[in-house]
Amino acid sequence: MSTLPNIVVSVQNLVVGYAGQAVLEHINFEVRRGEVFAILGKTGSGKSTLLKSLIGLYPPMAGKVLIEGTNIGTAEGNERRRLLRRIGVLYQSGALFGSMNVLENVRLPLDAFTRLPEMAKDLVALAKLRLVDLKESAAKAPDELSGGMQRRAALARAIVADPAILFLDEPSAGLDPITSAALDALFKELSRDSGMTLVIVTHELPSIFAIADRVILLDAERKSIVAEGKPHDLRDHATDPLVRHFFRREAK
Amino acid sequence: MNSETNSSPGQVVHFELRKDGESRCVLVLAGQLDMDSAPWLWRELKQQLGSVHATTLEINTAGLTHYDSAGLGLLYFLSKAQMTPDAQVTLSELKPELAKALRAFSMDDYQAFQAQQPKKQSIAEHVGTGVINLASDLREMVAFIGQLASGLVALLCHPRQIRMGEVLRIFESAGVNALPIISLISLLVGLIIAFESAQPLAEFGAQIYIANMIGLVMVRELGPLMTAILLAGRSGSAFAAELGTMKVNEELNALETMGLDPVRFLVLQRLLASLLLTPLLTIYSMFTGVLGGVIVMLALGFTLPTILVQLESSVHIKDIVFGASKGFVFGIIVAGIACLRGLHTKSGPSAVGQATTRSVVSGILLIVVADAVFASLLFIFNK
Repeated sequence: MSTLPNIVVSVQNLVVGYAGQAVLEHINFEVRRGEVFAILGKTGSGKSTLLKSLIGLYPPMAGKVLIEGTNIGTAEGNERRRLLRRIGVLYQSGALFGSMNVLENVRLPLDAFTRLPEMAKDLVALAKLRLVDLKESAAKAPDELSGGMQRRAALARAIVADPAILFLDEPSAGLDPITSAALDALFKELSRDSGMTLVIVTHELPSIFAIADRVILLDAERKSIVAEGKPHDLRDHATDPLVRHFFRREAK
Repeated sequence: MNSETNSSPGQVVHFELRKDGESRCVLVLAGQLDMDSAPWLWRELKQQLGSVHATTLEINTAGLTHYDSAGLGLLYFLSKAQMTPDAQVTLSELKPELAKALRAFSMDDYQAFQAQQPKKQSIAEHVGTGVINLASDLREMVAFIGQLASGLVALLCHPRQIRMGEVLRIFESAGVNALPIISLISLLVGLIIAFESAQPLAEFGAQIYIANMIGLVMVRELGPLMTAILLAGRSGSAFAAELGTMKVNEELNALETMGLDPVRFLVLQRLLASLLLTPLLTIYSMFTGVLGGVIVMLALGFTLPTILVQLESSVHIKDIVFGASKGFVFGIIVAGIACLRGLHTKSGPSAVGQATTRSVVSGILLIVVADAVFASLLFIFNK
């Protein structure tokens, strides 16, 4: 196997926003292979918008995003397909398709990317469902599952094609602390056992301290990254009042 | 085929299928077994394994350097004798990490999943659920008519409770904005009928009667019917989708807990707007349709006064009133059915779509049924 670049996501001078209005300007950061990288910020700081540019859903207003060296904004055809196979995305709502059962949902990336016997694909999907502890629910419809279970089923779908990078949009939003701690443990396991790189958008402090190796903090007023580093360092040593407010949960 | 090595395009995965004695076969795999190479391997093996008749198959995995979930899925599939139903399959020289990775797969899970698949309904069950659904549909409809009537009476007693702003908004979106499409369709229908009838009527020298026909057809039948069908497709579906989305978003529950009745708060405004605007649109459609006929007659060489005299002799004011009152009834049907379907939207992702479809289908159905009732009433009373 050819050696893979150590930098998996490289964001260069990125400007993102809606309708001509920049939400974030001159964003530069890199994500290294195998790390758990968290994008933090208050509600409205543009973290979900940034994530959508990282996975190529929103075209950037300026700058570029390189995923394993390929510009995701300009890749087309086969190059884009190859790139999309390298990433998995867990959407905030789960985004499971209601017209299919859980197993069919999980199998979907395999159906899209490869031709294998149906049963082999089912077996792979079931193995992933077993990993997220949902194998009993394979034949159920998504709306028969609880919120936490839907999130886990969506996670199984995001990892079924063994992506190199997994993007997670607020994975614990709307979940109780116990369920979200269990999800965090699952993320940690994925990153440790399969060397997957995780890019997580969140504002949940407990998850950040539990799993993130490195974080960046975004701010809506300054429209930029206000801090970058290890979460514990930022909590203990930051001098910027904004960063201290965020990490110590102090209101201004 | 006895002992040749096969390589996938790009030399990523290799396999060698060896006959080892009478009924024993060895499959040696090497290289990368991943999402790209596994389908090729599967295709090749399907061809080659079919022609060997072995009772034992040994799969040697020592040479596998890299694998992903898809590749492992295929390996597990092979190891469970799914491609060689008659053979005993064993995996040999399994590296510990590969053995560990394969333990993620489970045949028991697969069988459990298969057992859970929902069974197909029998015909009797289908008929049964159909009848039950029909009965509950009727029940809902009767209850809804009751709710509407009581709400309407209450609203007429307290006219201030009508949210006039909402009524006007619906008037604009369902009425004013529908004018272009109603103009176009009515005008074209008028033109088409006049053109189609011009030829046969010319044979009898009766082209002048195009005016009589187009007048009666547009005013009594097609004006009201086309308008109602257009409204059902355009505004009825919008009502159903709006209320359905509100139901899915729990906005209807919010209304209930605030002590506001969804029927009075949402449905009656739509019903009111619809029953006021449908007769107006109907009259507009009648005139546009007749205009279409007049255009054709002018083109055929008749003068405007002749056409108007002919029209006057055939269409009376009572025909227009009859057509408009049809429009009134159709308006109630369209809005009522659409709101009923919207309010009874079920949960789930396709529910809003289903509610919208049902509102249009049953709306149009009931419009045509009501039209038939009107036609027979007219026949009886004109005798």
